[in-house]
Amino acid sequence: MDCEHLRKRMSSGGTEYTEMRNMKRSYEEINSKIKKGDAVVLTAEEVIGVVQSQGVEKAAKEVDVVTTGTFGAMCSSGAFLNFGHAEPPIKMQKVWLNDVPAYTGLAAVDAYIGATEVRENGKIDYGGGQVIEDLVAGKPVKLRATAYGTDCYPRKSIETYISLKTVNQAYLFNPRNMYQNYAVATNSSDRTLFTYMGKLLPNYGNATYCSAGQLSPLLNDPNLRTIGIGTRIFLGGAQGYVAWEGTQYRTDVPVENGVPTGACRALAVIGDMKKMSTDYVRGLYFHKYGISLGVGIGVPIPILDEGLMKSVSISDEQIVAPVLDYSVQSRARKPLTKVSYAQLRNGTIKLHGKNVKTSSLSSYRRAKDIAEKLKKWMEEGEFLLSQPVANLPENQTFKPLDLHSQEEV
Amino acid sequence: MPKQKYLLTFTSDIVDEPITYRIVKDYDLLVNILRAEVDDHGGRLLISMEGSGQQIKKAVRYLMDAKVQVKELNEYVKKDERRCTDCGMCVSICPVDAFEADRTSWKVTFDPKKCIACGMCVDACPPQAIKIGEL
Repeated sequence: MDCEHLRKRMSSGGTEYTEMRNMKRSYEEINSKIKKGDAVVLTAEEVIGVVQSQGVEKAAKEVDVVTTGTFGAMCSSGAFLNFGHAEPPIKMQKVWLNDVPAYTGLAAVDAYIGATEVRENGKIDYGGGQVIEDLVAGKPVKLRATAYGTDCYPRKSIETYISLKTVNQAYLFNPRNMYQNYAVATNSSDRTLFTYMGKLLPNYGNATYCSAGQLSPLLNDPNLRTIGIGTRIFLGGAQGYVAWEGTQYRTDVPVENGVPTGACRALAVIGDMKKMSTDYVRGLYFHKYGISLGVGIGVPIPILDEGLMKSVSISDEQIVAPVLDYSVQSRARKPLTKVSYAQLRNGTIKLHGKNVKTSSLSSYRRAKDIAEKLKKWMEEGEFLLSQPVANLPENQTFKPLDLHSQEEV
Repeated sequence: MPKQKYLLTFTSDIVDEPITYRIVKDYDLLVNILRAEVDDHGGRLLISMEGSGQQIKKAVRYLMDAKVQVKELNEYVKKDERRCTDCGMCVSICPVDAFEADRTSWKVTFDPKKCIACGMCVDACPPQAIKIGEL
């Protein structure tokens, strides 16, 4: 490198550094702009072009918030319900909602219905995900409970109907949602596979992926600078909150272009089902696999500085995911290759020289819709940003389950 | 040129009749066999016929005279727009690209004209938005 070139690089780098130090914006400033209807809000898709044409510095000065969105199958989801007390009262020991078992090893009439729980009749095409959707739709749901009976809770069984109108609390509490990136699934075997990544045709007949890529919440703020416990979000059509780190949260995945190249961070989220809509809460059935819940989530990213402006400008070309062969029945599948979301969204990827058609399992259309909706809420002053009350872990690994003796653990 | 899909059902006593040959030779139609099944109850043939409307009509008349049950196939697969979430799972499953995701809106559309009634999409749809019609 010649001296002139080096000097230019240093000076431009220096300018950028000074600017980055200069441009600062606080949550309070943004919220007061939102309240006045003055906030400039763009979606994570719209902002890509703005940064490309105007640059990070200028865009950061103009844009206050960038909204993200995703709508996909999120198996680690479920709902807490409180049914109220019967006369005479019952301390529920076993409980079923539309014949789907729920967990009631809590206080007398509290229960948790998990999204992937299925009916006990041997069929797996209706389960917790559909119960949750039916409740959100305002439909009546059959409640059946049994108990051993106590002096204070003498009743031993009950069968009745409940709905969101009759229960006291009904809130989604999803232990792991909106994974930051995820694998792409394909199938090298000679038979069709039915997986949680959808129907995988034989001999690399297709490939499926599930991240919303450039619109995905955690890919737009990859180190979770603005997302932590207490962050207000769009959840299922209502306002919800980040409750905790998601289960299987990890930070040790290799990074390319600033974002992890595989499943990495995730969030636990919470929100009031009574305010949600079936447009964003949907029971899903994966044939011969089971039930999941389609959840729509959007997270606002406040542009506090240029670093955040840069991270929200990430595009599908820059985000890659590993392609895994789901016919390998092991937790340690080696990626066949890596592909970008631009390639995936284009409709075909190349695997072993073969053009393989791709399918998205998450709805990009609905992800866009969520980002737009969140933007509208902020433009109309209905949604305010909340600063996290605590940050999520910066360094964390993901441990496997191995066979251990008592002494080893 | 008009192109139409038909489901032909025939009993075992007429499986010897070379109906496809007749349609091609006598009525000058472009015939594409999309699916064919024969079992102890007889056979089912899903074909598309392309040619003049007049000739297609005549061919259908011939088939009916030959005691073949003829059913025009319009909507074998139905997509329930209220249940569809526009994910696009069906897009890579369909062998004839009858499902497509629009590159701007990302809305997933279904073109019944392309559908060959294979039914592969039905169990691939997570929100269970795709239902099979009567054959």
